[in-house]
Amino acid sequence: MIPTLGRALLHLGLGAAAAGMIAGIFAGARRSEEAASWARTLTLASAGAFALATLLIEVALVRHDFSVAYVAEIGSASTPPLIAAVSLWSSLDGSMLFWAFILAVYAGIFALRSRGTEPARTGWALAVQLAVLLFFGLLVAGVSAPFDRVFPAPTDGPGPNPLLQNHALMAIHPPTLYLGYVGLAVPFAMAVAALATGRLDAAWTRSLRSWSLWVWAFLTLGILLGGWWSYEVLGWGGYWAWDPVENASLLPWLTFTAFLHSLIVAERRGRLAATSLVLVIISFLLTILGTFMTRSGVFNSVHSFTQSPIGPIFLGFLTLTLVGCVVLLAARVDALRIEIGPRPGSATLLSRDSAFLLTVLVLLAFAATVLLGTVYPLVNQAITGGQVSVGGPYYETMTIPLCAGLLGLMVLGPALPWRAATAAVTLRQLAPPLGVGLLVALWAWVEGLDRPWVLLTLALAAAILVVSGRELWQLVRARLAKGDPAWQAPFLGLAAAPRRTGAHIAHLGVVICAVAISFSSSFKHETELTLTPGASTVWQGYTLGFLRADKLVEPHRTSTRAHFAVFAGARDLGVLVPALNLYSRDARSIGTPAVLHRLAEDLYLSVVQVDAREVTVRAYLQPGVSWLWLGGLVAVLGSLVAALPPRRGAGRKEVSA
Amino acid sequence: MNWKILVAGIAICTPLVWVLATGFGHDPHAIPTVTLGSKASDFDLVDLSGQRVHLADLRGRPVVINFWATWCRPCVAEHAELQAAARTYQGRAVFLGILYGDDPALAREYLARVGSVYPTLVDPAQHTVVDYGVAGVPETFFLDGQGVIVHKVSGAVGAAELTAVLAELVR
Repeated sequence: MIPTLGRALLHLGLGAAAAGMIAGIFAGARRSEEAASWARTLTLASAGAFALATLLIEVALVRHDFSVAYVAEIGSASTPPLIAAVSLWSSLDGSMLFWAFILAVYAGIFALRSRGTEPARTGWALAVQLAVLLFFGLLVAGVSAPFDRVFPAPTDGPGPNPLLQNHALMAIHPPTLYLGYVGLAVPFAMAVAALATGRLDAAWTRSLRSWSLWVWAFLTLGILLGGWWSYEVLGWGGYWAWDPVENASLLPWLTFTAFLHSLIVAERRGRLAATSLVLVIISFLLTILGTFMTRSGVFNSVHSFTQSPIGPIFLGFLTLTLVGCVVLLAARVDALRIEIGPRPGSATLLSRDSAFLLTVLVLLAFAATVLLGTVYPLVNQAITGGQVSVGGPYYETMTIPLCAGLLGLMVLGPALPWRAATAAVTLRQLAPPLGVGLLVALWAWVEGLDRPWVLLTLALAAAILVVSGRELWQLVRARLAKGDPAWQAPFLGLAAAPRRTGAHIAHLGVVICAVAISFSSSFKHETELTLTPGASTVWQGYTLGFLRADKLVEPHRTSTRAHFAVFAGARDLGVLVPALNLYSRDARSIGTPAVLHRLAEDLYLSVVQVDAREVTVRAYLQPGVSWLWLGGLVAVLGSLVAALPPRRGAGRKEVSA
Repeated sequence: MNWKILVAGIAICTPLVWVLATGFGHDPHAIPTVTLGSKASDFDLVDLSGQRVHLADLRGRPVVINFWATWCRPCVAEHAELQAAARTYQGRAVFLGILYGDDPALAREYLARVGSVYPTLVDPAQHTVVDYGVAGVPETFFLDGQGVIVHKVSGAVGAAELTAVLAELVR
């Protein structure tokens, strides 16, 4: 029953998407309100059908209905219901359906929110989203076909990939990342619609910005959770490995961050508007490239699915989208009427305008560096036939100076005025933050910290805090000057300018992340310890006592766990239980590290080998890792604050950051 | 039409698509084996208990050479499969372990605990590792009676693959 119903729903969703796309194009070309209304209705119908199809496969997964191809492929009668439910995104076919589902829901929300807007633009935007949906929908209905019927149905299946069963984060990291990744289709569609209609006005830009901030928040959170998953599950003591698929999520993040900055220049100064649209388009193309990287099996990565016919089809889609975007840009960009911001004026080299432009350029250079490193093994293989891999040293050498440059621009940009800054103004604005930064670096150096990059990061971080704090204080002070009570002024001041507030909160988050990354990568300790039961050892100020090893048998896996008592001096920090898990489907042992999260540093234990007689663990001590997660969350919060509408009656027209 | 954008766009996209397309047909996980199909390099080594083993002396029977280490998780995982196969093919094929980047004392202690029906050789200078082009452990090489490497497995070897290759070799 489920295979038949599932396929019927997919076909219904595809039919509605195709009809909606045609209606959208018609609305776009003829400016027809009626066609736009049809496009909206059909989009909602398509979203409903894809949502039901996704629900249906969830039912099949949880009920272990092995007559459904996808369940037979990755389900297992011993898989607990929660893991069965999240295994929708643990393999290729299910993940493609999930892609289509999220895109359909986004398109549905866009359709609902676009009521009453200009039909041509809405029509084009819906048509583009539905075209992308059609591609993914056709893949799901045709090539990857999770709903195919298996007859006779097997009585059991192999169960999902052990690595994906190992941690609760698997339930939230992929959906969050997908919300960001797939969500980029909406700003992309809006940019294409602006180009197609030849007009970018304030209302469309506002809507574009609001969508983009949400998508950016999800993308950031998704990348962060991915790092966290890698840290908590893979047992190598790190959170970022420059794996091709990690890079695939970082690439659109970089260009999309560049877009958010160029959009500010467009709104405030009337410049970089067309550049902003190009950056959105590039960001979306990078998500398609990233999906190709994961799905084609062409890249060597911890995430990659095996080679499948989807690879060439995806490359075809990527090529088509690339060509379409280049032709659209070439044909329409000169005709684009920009109706946002003031008439473009000149700016001097020393101005906020230049700092923003430089920010965009550095972010693009960062993206180009990562892209080059990611595709270089393929380039090398194509030219010489040999195999190489590009690893951490390349990325670190190349990106650390770029990161330092970005931090420097986060001091410079908000400190300088728009248009032109005189030498006196520049000095007055920059002296306090740079002075504080210098003092902080000096203090750290006196305290014995001698790594130049860490000192530079600390100095810039302190300077950014001063600059951003000063900007936010200005908002609060304006309210105080108006006579608001002191306890209300911060709220009223910040609520009156959510964009500026959000931007500085996001900067604060980035600063926390930067400091955390520089500390955790510069001052990491690791060692291998072998202990017998009852024995203990002292390492880096921690006393680790191996209590015992035991086995925990669950239906889907057997875990051999090592129990460690951990003390810092005389203080009891509890028991850490790293384990090795053996899954029914796989002969390999999958380790689950145990992490003691502390504010200053993490103690991380990963079992190498364990039995009743002894245990060997790799121990890592990393400062600042908790701050990385915290900083990421602060950045996400900043983005969401910036997406809020300015508070009505706050008494002051918002001046954007 | 803005020709500059068109030309620049195509100039950037064409090589990118070309490079991506060339990736098909290559398995990025495969490690090239230069030694496959060629005569296995000879060695004369001492095992953990001090017995000499000279590969050339084993000519006439298939040989399975497993590079391993105690610190390597997949090696530990495949140990039982290799032992079972060695027992099954006792007298018809020779099994040899070669220690890779590990302390012989640790290996001796480990094997005393888990048991082994075939010797593990110690190669202090690790010349065999270079001769066989071992990229990491475990790697298992299958030699026919003439000493030619006919099959290689990178990563833990499964029972099915062991049986299939050995059945072919002893026929």
